[in-house]
Amino acid sequence: MTGGPLIVQSDKTLLLEVDHVDAQACRMAIAPFAELERSPEHVHTYRLTPLGLWNARAAGHDAESVVDSLLRFSRYPVPHGLLVDVAETMDRYGRLTLANDPAHGLVLHGKDRAVLVEVTRSKKLAGMLGAWVDADTIMVHGSERGRLKQALLKVGWPAEDLAGYVDGESHPIDLAEHGGEHGWRLRAYQREAVEHFWAGGSGVVVLPCGAGKTLVGAAAMAVVKATTLILVTNTVAGRQWKRELIERTTLTEDEIGEYSGERKEIRPVTIATYQVLTARRGGVFTHLDLFGARDWGLVIYDEVHLLPAPIFRFTADLQARRRLGLTATLVREDGREGDVFSLIGPKRYDAPWKDVEAQGWIAPAVCTEVRVTLTDAERMSYATAETEDRYRLAATARTKLPVVKALVDRHAGDQILVIGAYLNQLETLGEYLNAPVLQGSTTNKERERLFDAFRAGEIATLVISRVGNFSIDLPEAAVAIQVSGTFGSRQEEAQRLGRVLRPKADGRQAHFYSVVARDTIDVEYAAHRQRFLAEQGYAYTIVDADDVIGPPLPAPDSVD
Amino acid sequence: MPTTLTEHLRALTNEALADLLRHRPDLVVPVPADTEALAARAQARASVGRALDELDEFTLAALDGVRLTSADDGRTSLDAVRALAPEHADALGGALTRLRELFLVYGPDIELRLAGGVADVTSAYPAGLGRPAAALNAAVATVCAEPARLRRELLATPAPARAVLDRLAAGPPVGLVSGSPDGQPERRAAGRRGRTGGPEPDSPVRWLVERHLLAPMNAPGPSGVPTPRSDDRYEAVELPRELGLLLRRESGPLGALRPYAPTVTADARKLTAVDSAGAGQAMEAVRQAEALLSELANEPAALLRSGGVGVVGLRRLARAIGAPEPTAALLVEVAHAAGLAAESDVPGDRTAGAPTLFLLPTPAYDVWRALPLGRRWADLARAWWSMTRQPGLTLERDDHGRPVNVLSEGVERSSAPAVRRAALATLGALPAGVGPAADELLALLAWRRPRRFAGRADAFADAIADAAKLGVTGFNALTSYGRLLLADDDTSDADPLGVTTTGGASADPLAAAIAPLLPAPVDHVLLQADLTLVVPGPAAPELTAELELVAEHESGGGANVYRITDATVRRALDAGYTTADLHELFAKRSRTPVPQSLTYLIDDLGRRHGGLRAGPAGAYLRSDDEALLSQALLDKRLSSLGLRRLAPTVLVTAQHSGRLAHALREAGYAPIAEDASGVAVPHTARARRAVGPAGPVRTAAPTMPALTAPLLAGIVEQIRRGDAQSLARRAPAALRAAQGRGDSGPTAVQAHADAMAVLQQAVRDRSHVWVGYVDAHGATLSRLVRPVSMGAGYLRAEDERTETLHTFALHRITAAVVETP
Repeated sequence: MTGGPLIVQSDKTLLLEVDHVDAQACRMAIAPFAELERSPEHVHTYRLTPLGLWNARAAGHDAESVVDSLLRFSRYPVPHGLLVDVAETMDRYGRLTLANDPAHGLVLHGKDRAVLVEVTRSKKLAGMLGAWVDADTIMVHGSERGRLKQALLKVGWPAEDLAGYVDGESHPIDLAEHGGEHGWRLRAYQREAVEHFWAGGSGVVVLPCGAGKTLVGAAAMAVVKATTLILVTNTVAGRQWKRELIERTTLTEDEIGEYSGERKEIRPVTIATYQVLTARRGGVFTHLDLFGARDWGLVIYDEVHLLPAPIFRFTADLQARRRLGLTATLVREDGREGDVFSLIGPKRYDAPWKDVEAQGWIAPAVCTEVRVTLTDAERMSYATAETEDRYRLAATARTKLPVVKALVDRHAGDQILVIGAYLNQLETLGEYLNAPVLQGSTTNKERERLFDAFRAGEIATLVISRVGNFSIDLPEAAVAIQVSGTFGSRQEEAQRLGRVLRPKADGRQAHFYSVVARDTIDVEYAAHRQRFLAEQGYAYTIVDADDVIGPPLPAPDSVD
Repeated sequence: MPTTLTEHLRALTNEALADLLRHRPDLVVPVPADTEALAARAQARASVGRALDELDEFTLAALDGVRLTSADDGRTSLDAVRALAPEHADALGGALTRLRELFLVYGPDIELRLAGGVADVTSAYPAGLGRPAAALNAAVATVCAEPARLRRELLATPAPARAVLDRLAAGPPVGLVSGSPDGQPERRAAGRRGRTGGPEPDSPVRWLVERHLLAPMNAPGPSGVPTPRSDDRYEAVELPRELGLLLRRESGPLGALRPYAPTVTADARKLTAVDSAGAGQAMEAVRQAEALLSELANEPAALLRSGGVGVVGLRRLARAIGAPEPTAALLVEVAHAAGLAAESDVPGDRTAGAPTLFLLPTPAYDVWRALPLGRRWADLARAWWSMTRQPGLTLERDDHGRPVNVLSEGVERSSAPAVRRAALATLGALPAGVGPAADELLALLAWRRPRRFAGRADAFADAIADAAKLGVTGFNALTSYGRLLLADDDTSDADPLGVTTTGGASADPLAAAIAPLLPAPVDHVLLQADLTLVVPGPAAPELTAELELVAEHESGGGANVYRITDATVRRALDAGYTTADLHELFAKRSRTPVPQSLTYLIDDLGRRHGGLRAGPAGAYLRSDDEALLSQALLDKRLSSLGLRRLAPTVLVTAQHSGRLAHALREAGYAPIAEDASGVAVPHTARARRAVGPAGPVRTAAPTMPALTAPLLAGIVEQIRRGDAQSLARRAPAALRAAQGRGDSGPTAVQAHADAMAVLQQAVRDRSHVWVGYVDAHGATLSRLVRPVSMGAGYLRAEDERTETLHTFALHRITAAVVETP
């Protein structure tokens, strides 16, 4: 027994004791092949998955080194069966390769003839493979490259894609780094992420919210130096990208086009929203031409974990172009991580949240759950409500209003976001707090105005609906108060936490509050979300509303 | 010059005789009466077969060499055998030395003889060569008689026919004729009956038969040896020996020889690495076995009427322990063999068609669970080592195409312990730390014990796989503690009931050997803000008991992860913990600060706990008139009812409503009885246990007594004395003695076994024998006869005095003694 920091579990999870002296070395050793699943304060949980092992294999780690890391750091003997399983799983990647043959074009090459024969017999691959070139090689039509990789992953023989990329239409792009007091330089981990991406050709870079994913995208464009298509979640996020690109690169406003519901510009660098691409008329995708509109050298996918299913289908046809995925988490609530792996590419870089935070790039956050006791009348209406109405009733209880107010007052002087899911509640809150409300029906122009004002400090408190979940940049929001959410979505929690995790100019502490109604389903959903927070290593505390409001104790009835 | 084995043995020195007995210990069970009996037994099929089973491929080839070179009088010489493969002459000489040690071959170098019985238990085709042409077919014999002509014929053979010849020359030399157009003779495949016979016209086989290069035969009978056939409706062909030898001129008459064991390519790992990997797997096996048994305790697995646990039940168990089904099948079998689980009646469901027998943990399981990890593993490993089951057969299809179920008859294989022993012994004979891949080890086993291995490749593969799953091997190499299993059989004598393996406190060497490799139990936990709780190692039993109540087990292995949820805290409160108890428990057990969220959770739930109260009541009494109820409550005549006030308007009693109403009426009240609805009956779940055997079920492997020098000397002396006696006695007297009517004769069983050996020898020698037997009326008789044949449970023998052929049922024969002229 080595007394190491790692304990291997039978369900292929790895427990890392973070206070151990070798913990950091162990983390470095296992990070390439194991996915960090939970990182609470004492014991972090990593998981060995086939995808993770293949990601490692794609990054050049072999089974022997993985087994060696496990044995070296494990505190207890590692079951032989698990080691065998790891070796066998890793061995499956790269037995098949996709390559460019000078005479036959795209071919599937098998290093193991038996595997090649096995996959040709698979029903999932029916029709994707062409004629045999020789005993180890099969022709593949170029248009099947993506779908074939997807299908091969499903049958458990992921192919290594060595077929290379088209260069695309060249376009000069450089980073506008400069020193000085207000200058900026690419951070070390951003540079590293871009290097890993370029070496791998295509793939996904995982960075927490606020860690500067946009800059990684810009740096990647500066390396590729070719026309680029950027796919983002919505128009506001697109404008954000545009602003950032103009500021951080040599690109000018004329070189960047917006392809959204409002404008349809196609320029050397084009930013398109998922929404417009997946819009259909009469069952037909109307904007597919965009992909062929230019000879793109790079396609960037922002927020890969939100990529809608049709985009995967289009991506399958883009396999000859370099692809960069950017995300805060590879976890997809629809479980399509495998499609990300096969179509966009393996994970090329991953920085654990806590580590990035330790480097000072994102603000440390304090998470607090405030439990509100409902009034008897509210409890009665909750108790007699239909099941489907219960969450709404609990989440929008009026009793929450004075608590939110108390929290806002406590952080007077800070930029505060109040986040909710129910419009009626948000409007009430807006009136109660005397703050503007930003919701789905707010026009883009109005949104930008409110954001600008908020950024400038003209508005201290902003009430926003679900539209705020994605990819808006509010650098100075130091406090977030969440009053209702989409049930227990972990993804939403990550996004909302991201709102307050952007670096603060003065390094102040960020606060994240959830206001929940005690003894209702609201608490259960909150518990689910908090589990995510705790798993990310954010200690959270639970307090009673009375402690927040403090003396003098207002009678709940006086609110109504 | 001695010619028979008896004479040969009689002439041996005491030491040499003792050596024979040491090499073939089965000869002294029971001790033979005299040298003649010893020789007869040494040539009996069973004993010869046993001796051959232990020989490697090359030594068996040498034995084939002896058979091939034997002249008609059964003699050959060392030089003749060595000449068969000049390049391996020395190795062949060594192999012959080994055969002579075993007295499978005996006699001086120039006059070697094959012991009787060898031909009976080996293939009819030594070295895979056919019979001489003269024994097959006159026309073929003519061709074969002229070597030059034979060579010419061979050169003129077209390619397809030549391929047929080459296949037959590689052995076995007999092929069934198939109707397939390419004319390839089919190997002895079953299921060719009902065909009209004869090959396709123009097939290479027909061509060869017509050129008299192959002899046409009938389909081989049960003995495997076909008889010649003259017409063209032949069903098989045989390659004559002469042609076979000609075809083998490159490799030699014995075919390709492998005088040395196939080499193992795997590099040696450090034994510590092997032990560590094995110990990790051992921990895993124990954990899985525990999970399996606790799943059985929660929900017993129903046993099918046909025996065993069905596919669905096994799948459930496999899911519960997070392992593939074959692993679950192995663990079910091992747990059953270890006496930790047994079939039992479960009270309850008595509906027709419901299963009546279930698999449940036994009380031994509760004892086992509290043992240290090493002991728990040792119990499982021993049970596996000696169980006559081959769990790898589970889920395969049986002869009727039905899946074989775990714990059913279909998994029973009496040879399984021997197979395991052979596999591990072969692995153990390699340098320490060398772990060959399974197919390499199988190839090695096939070379080392070809007769044992033949047809049992799957059993060996299963044994190797099982050893890996249980952690007896690590990185495919035998672990240092696994090696102890090989030396373990001695304990079976000292402890036949397996008492010490379950309950006793005596040091168990196997458990002691693995214990240092396993982690020590841990009695603390690490609490985290996400309400998980990590036991960083195997939990001490008392800690496990506490945690199982207050938290949900989430993952096991090196450590144990539990999650605390609302439900688990509530469960603890229900079980009588107070919030203060819980705070104290977590504070005491946790090495890390208790997170605020947990403290809050416990307090919050504690606050709400007991907001509703439930309890038993036989009947209630309600009234809107509170005063009336008070009156009833205080009424002395109703005191026997034990009324209790639940609320101002409700009283309850433990008595049932009929009695309550009756008592009230007696006392002058006017109650109205109401229908009862939804009275909860308290139900306490009890852990169910089967009544199983007291200890693990261990089948004692038939063991040979350890043959120490003094013991051997004694046996030899006894045999010599027997010789002296048998010389002095006339045969019928010996027979009488053997039948138990004389003084201090052998036991009946022994006499019977000896008799069979004597009769087998007599059939071969065509000698006269006194046969003692019990007739249909129970009378013991004896008769002097000349045995003709033995088989299918009957002895056929001629009585020369009456010139009749008698048939004796073998089980009625009590003794047989060779007539001494």
